[in-house]
Parts: sequence; C-alpha cells; structure tokens
Amino acid sequence: MNDAIQIHALKKSYGSHKVLKGLDICIEAGEIFALLGVNGAGKTTALECIEGLRSYDSGTITVNGTMGIQLQSASLPAHIRPMEAIKLFAKWKQAKADCAMLDALNIREIEKKQYMQLSTGQKRRLHLALALTGNPDIVFLDEPTAGIDVEGRLSLHDQIRTLRKQGKTIVLASHDMAEVEALCDRIAILKDGKIAFCGTALELTDHVSKKYVIRVKTQQGNQILETDHIEDALLSLLTAFRQKGIGVLDLRVDRGTLEQHFVELAGRAEE
Amino acid sequence: MSGFFYSVALQWKLDIRSKSLLVTCYVVPLLFFLLMGGIFTSVMPEMKQTLIQSMIVMSVSMGAFIGLPPSLIETYGSEIKKVYKANGAPAASGLVTMFLSAFIHLTLMSVVILALSPLLFGAVLPDCLPHFFSALAFYIAASLCVGSILGLAVKNQGKLTMIAQLVFLPSIMLSGILFPADLLPDVLKHTGRVLPAFRGFQLMLDGGFLPERLWYFILVFCAAFIVCGILLKKQDAA
Repeated sequence: MNDAIQIHALKKSYGSHKVLKGLDICIEAGEIFALLGVNGAGKTTALECIEGLRSYDSGTITVNGTMGIQLQSASLPAHIRPMEAIKLFAKWKQAKADCAMLDALNIREIEKKQYMQLSTGQKRRLHLALALTGNPDIVFLDEPTAGIDVEGRLSLHDQIRTLRKQGKTIVLASHDMAEVEALCDRIAILKDGKIAFCGTALELTDHVSKKYVIRVKTQQGNQILETDHIEDALLSLLTAFRQKGIGVLDLRVDRGTLEQHFVELAGRAEE
Repeated sequence: MSGFFYSVALQWKLDIRSKSLLVTCYVVPLLFFLLMGGIFTSVMPEMKQTLIQSMIVMSVSMGAFIGLPPSLIETYGSEIKKVYKANGAPAASGLVTMFLSAFIHLTLMSVVILALSPLLFGAVLPDCLPHFFSALAFYIAASLCVGSILGLAVKNQGKLTMIAQLVFLPSIMLSGILFPADLLPDVLKHTGRVLPAFRGFQLMLDGGFLPERLWYFILVFCAAFIVCGILLKKQDAA
C-alpha cells in the first residue's frame, strides 16, 4: 500500500516546553488511523503540524493527497447559515458542494438556521461537511463525536465508514476508545512527545498484556483465572470440571479492553 | 477570485444580521444626526455649511472605531480564523472582506446623511460632489485602517472597548466638527491633526480636496498595510 502521510523526526516546542520530540509515523492510504494520547500529549499539535496549520521546529512531513480538516475546537461567524459556509469554502477550494454528502449529513435540515442556533451535534456535522467539501483524499477528524449524543455518534460512525469505503484515508484523534476500537485499522499512542505504540488494536493487546482472564460461572460459584497460555488453561479447567461433575453455566475469556491497555501504556498523566 | 467576491457579499449580509454592527453603523449615527442636526442648526445657523461633513465624521468614526474592531476580534481572536485557514481561505481574507463590507455600510450611511440633511435641516450640499465622494472614500478607508489595526492588535473585547473610546472620543472632540479646532490649546490641536477625523473633515469641506492633503491618507494606508501584515503573520505563526 502507498503511504498517504509520512512523518519523520517531527519536533515542536512551545518556548522551553517540548511537545513533540521526534515523531515518526507512516499512515497508509485508505486506512482509518487513530492518534491517541492523554490530554496534553501533543495529539492536536501533531495533527495541526501535519495539516499545515502550525509551524514546526524540525523534521519532515510528506502528505500525498488533498486534505479535508475537521478541527477539535472549531467555530464560524455567529450569523452564518450552514449552506453559506459550505458555499464560501467550496469557492475558496474551487470545488462544488457534494449534494449526496450534504444529504447524508442532514445539512439541508438545518440550512435555515444560523450557526449560533445549531446544537453541538449539528455544528460537528457542519464542520465535517466543510472538511469533506472538495472531495479530499485525506480527512482529519479531531474529536469528531465529542459532545454528541449516542444516536448522532452512531450516525457519524456510519459516515466515517462510508468515507473509508470511498477510499479516503482518515486520521482520527479521539478520547473515546470504544469509537477507536470500532472504527480504526491502526492506532498510534503518543506519550511524552513520541510514539509509544503503533499498530492494530490486537497488536496493542499483545504488546501490553500477554495474560488472558478466564471468568467461569459454575453451579458452585464464580471463578477467575489468569493465564498466559489460553489453550492449555481452558483444556485443563474444563477437564477438571467434567471429572468433578461440575456443570459450567457461563465462560468468558478476555484480554482487557482497549481503554485498559491505553491507560496502561499511556499512563494517567492527566490525573 | 470568486471566493473573494462571495466572501465580501456574504460578509455584507452577515453585518446586516449582526445587531451590533447595525447599531454602530446605522442606528446610533442616525439618532445622533437627527438630534444634533436639529440642535446645531438652531443654535448655530452657520453650521448648515458643514453639517453634512460633521455628521459624516461622527458616523464614520463610530462605525470604524467602535463597529469594525469587535468583528475582527470575533474572527481573529477565536477558532474561526483556524477554520478559515483549514478550509483554504487566506489569512487576510477575513480582514479584507470585513474592511470592504464596512466601507460599503459607511458609504451608505454617509449617503443617507447627505440626502437627509438638506431636507430636514436645510444643510448646504457640497459644491462638487465628485470631490466630496472622493474625499469621503479616502476618509472612510483611513478610518477603517485605524479600526483594522485596533481589531487585530487588541486581543480582548473589554480592552478593545476602552482603547476604541480613546480613539473615538478625541476624533469627535478634536476634529473641529463640534467647534473650530483653532479654538483648542496647541497640544490638543496637534493631537487632533494626527487623527483621520480632522483630516477627513478638512478634505470633505468645499475646496478641501487638494492633492497636498492626500499624503496623510497615503501614509495611513501604507502604515496600516505594513502593521496589519505583521499582525496577521504573527497570528499565523502563533
């Protein structure tokens, strides 16, 4: 696969505070890539450097394709109407607004309202529509579902999956681990200005925790076991139950959630 | 270019929807004009000669120093500027479109004053309308240049209100629109000459549109171009 974005040795400081200390990432074309980190880890700074919105001290960034950007904290003039904003930026991008995209994001429902009258979810949808205007190859989404209710969140997830089907590369920054797990092909965890991990969610689990947790509910009560070798442990456990004539009511195996692994790796810097 | 023209037209519409700009560019200047026009021409009938120019100076000063800067802070002091940049609009586009939109609003307001003054208060129309409108254009542009610098340099609305008043009040008091500037003490007289209001008032008077008076305006345009450029670059790098 081709790389949509290549970042090498990216460094950025604010005064004496070093935020990015040599970032190296390759994002493949057509994947959904998540950039994770605790508050202040430098996610937004890294994204804004890639997007060209922020200058950086050293390193190289190569972006292969046009970009659409949805910012974490975005705003528009209080009295502007959604279609006016879309038309305005479509003209600056020398593109036309995609009617199918506007319908999918339900922008026409809110076209008569002014920006200040929109709900948080409606504003997020509008900013996503602005990012998608001009049919970009790479879409940056910084906390796209923050402050949105469950229904709105699911609808946006569908939109993001549709974009991926269209072949777009999506770079996502989010605090919502369930969202990241549900959507992303690969994740990178930013810690102390460097990439602490980069790979799939399964690889993260392998990286952080080798142990499997087996929860068994039997007629005699509940039992929790931890093991590194799942096949051997399950076999011996079930054999033992059978030999003793104990009936198994429920059995679950897990290796922890993405959130647990993230916390373990990224640390609780914000607390 | 179509993005630029659409931006100007849209900004003009947004200004109409924004009540604050409507108040500073139209409502307050018109009320002041209706009230003071009556008083001035009753107390001092000779004011009929300069009523149009005086009322325009007041209106333009209010629109440029009190009306424009808060709109600039709303854009450049917030995330709006980042959204513009992220969506392909040049950093200066907000400033230029607001400047042009305010220019149109203030020109319209000036035309209203020009049209109503003779009808309501028997004010004397300027001798040479092309010269008058040329002077008006120079004056409005210079005032908006000062307003633009205020809006980009000051980051906070509270501070801006105070600083804008520090420019607006001397513009009204020292420009010679309420009483002859020659009656002022030397310090105040010279202070008044630095402000666009005094220069604009002189330029708009009959026979006042002289080439040697334009250097001041050209200087203001050049200074504003450089200062605004520096301020925008500084904001871009932040």
